[in-house]
Amino acid sequence: MIIWAIARTTVGDALRKKILQVFIVVAIGLIVLSLSFSQTLSFSSQRGASSDFMLLKSFGLGMMALAGIFISLILGVTLIPQEFERRTIYTILAKPVKRYEFITGKFLGAILTLGIATGLMGITFILTIVIKAIGAQQLSASPTLGQMLGSTTEKVAIFDWNMVWGVILVYLQFMVLSSIVLLFSLIFTQTVNFFMGAAVYAVGFMSTVVISLGGAEGANVALQLFYKTISYVLPRFDQFNIPNQLLHPETQVTNMGAYTGMMALYGLLYTLLALVAAILIFERKEV
Amino acid sequence: MAGDKVSFTVNEGEIFGFIGPNGAGKTTTIKTLLGLLFPTSGKAEVLGKPAGDIQAKQRISYLPESPYFYEHMTGAEVLDFYCRLFKMNAATRRKRVPELLEQVGLSRDGQRALRQYSKGMLQRIGIAQALINEPDLLFFDEPTSGLDPIAHKDIQDLILSQRKQGKTVFLSSHQLSDVENVCDRVAIINRGELVKMGSMDELLHAGRTIITVSHPGSDLVAKVQPLSEHISQDGEFTKFYTQTEENVHKIIDAVRGQATLVSVVPQRQTLEDLFVEIVREGRH
Repeated sequence: MIIWAIARTTVGDALRKKILQVFIVVAIGLIVLSLSFSQTLSFSSQRGASSDFMLLKSFGLGMMALAGIFISLILGVTLIPQEFERRTIYTILAKPVKRYEFITGKFLGAILTLGIATGLMGITFILTIVIKAIGAQQLSASPTLGQMLGSTTEKVAIFDWNMVWGVILVYLQFMVLSSIVLLFSLIFTQTVNFFMGAAVYAVGFMSTVVISLGGAEGANVALQLFYKTISYVLPRFDQFNIPNQLLHPETQVTNMGAYTGMMALYGLLYTLLALVAAILIFERKEV
Repeated sequence: MAGDKVSFTVNEGEIFGFIGPNGAGKTTTIKTLLGLLFPTSGKAEVLGKPAGDIQAKQRISYLPESPYFYEHMTGAEVLDFYCRLFKMNAATRRKRVPELLEQVGLSRDGQRALRQYSKGMLQRIGIAQALINEPDLLFFDEPTSGLDPIAHKDIQDLILSQRKQGKTVFLSSHQLSDVENVCDRVAIINRGELVKMGSMDELLHAGRTIITVSHPGSDLVAKVQPLSEHISQDGEFTKFYTQTEENVHKIIDAVRGQATLVSVVPQRQTLEDLFVEIVREGRH
């Protein structure tokens, strides 16, 4: 009950942050705009509807990821320090509230907020694709119009479950990132934490490169060890972006449902570890 | 530095004043008692339990200096949130929140967002959240700072009403007149050290008596001088200042028949006088 009360208040507070609202609105606007953007491509190219859809999906997921990363960073960075600045933490911890309940409640509130933001962006993204698919089907039903506009008559499914898996995977990386930033917020200042969080995401996003550097032949042993350690310690954010074909054109996942489940497990485990570390630090932190 | 030689006990049912200059360690001491800070050495117990104990926290409350709350919430929502921290069920919360708003005079403003509240109203909400659990021990840190006279008086009355109900109040304040008016005992802390503690009577009884005499001759002045700690001249009047009752009688006897005795005024030292004296001594 206490954790839920803190989480609810955190959501209400976070959703009123102007900067978060701006990121959500801009991301939704860009996703909607991508509809006209890809229509232009579809009508002017001979690449076929499926490749246009791939582009549209990648663009939408990319927009969601970009906005969500910033939201996760801003939310995670301010989550606890703001409680100190506003002194709300003193009245809360003076009540019979255990410290782990406070941290868990704040984190739950943050990931619920991210869930709402991802939900809004995700629904817009899926609707955009569905609208585009309906348009493409109408075009293929009228071959003369299609030929006139220079488009192919390739059939496209209206609803693709991979979009849902893609949105879930994008959300999972927000969850992992915000848990890391929450942990950092108990150690570093807000500005340092923001850049540290961004750096962790960037390195985690390039984990394939880091792993290859760790295994490079002839390289310095210490450097190899360093790269290997980084690749083991930091979360592999690139693996959450597999459905984004612009980033991973070479990867084909046969069962996206199973892959998402596996990544959810990985994300939850990483989040849990970061949260436990944050709780242990906060238990001995003077407030 | 804050709080390296601080040792005191607060008795049940009293209003205990805790005063000291800025940076003396008052808030640090309170935070240590609440378990927000951890003592590096020594022991802090509240209601017989170690500081920060969850069971003890069920029976205590805290009003920090200039409290802030989630501004997007209404007064009633904030109180409902704090009630949830005590695991109160919905029925209890529905009953308790209006009671608290009534108690602090905010019944008509309970549905307004806190961002529309004045400083005094926020302070009242702060007090309301401190009364949720009907605590046995209340920690108030500067509860009247920056308030208008009406709000100031209301909060002072509220503190006194807590004592009537048998509650214990730990009051930290810079408003020394408030402390003097409401507290049973006072502790003065300076540079992290407890320098004086006692009941108001014990601390302030050692006042001086001023004996005013009209036209005393030089012989009389010379005779009384050893009995006075200070002598001042005010026109035709000479004032003899003395600390002890015995000297007061001796001076009056000496004056009798020698000059005109105008007045004998016992002067009670104020808490402010004592505080200034102690803090200044500490600087030397």
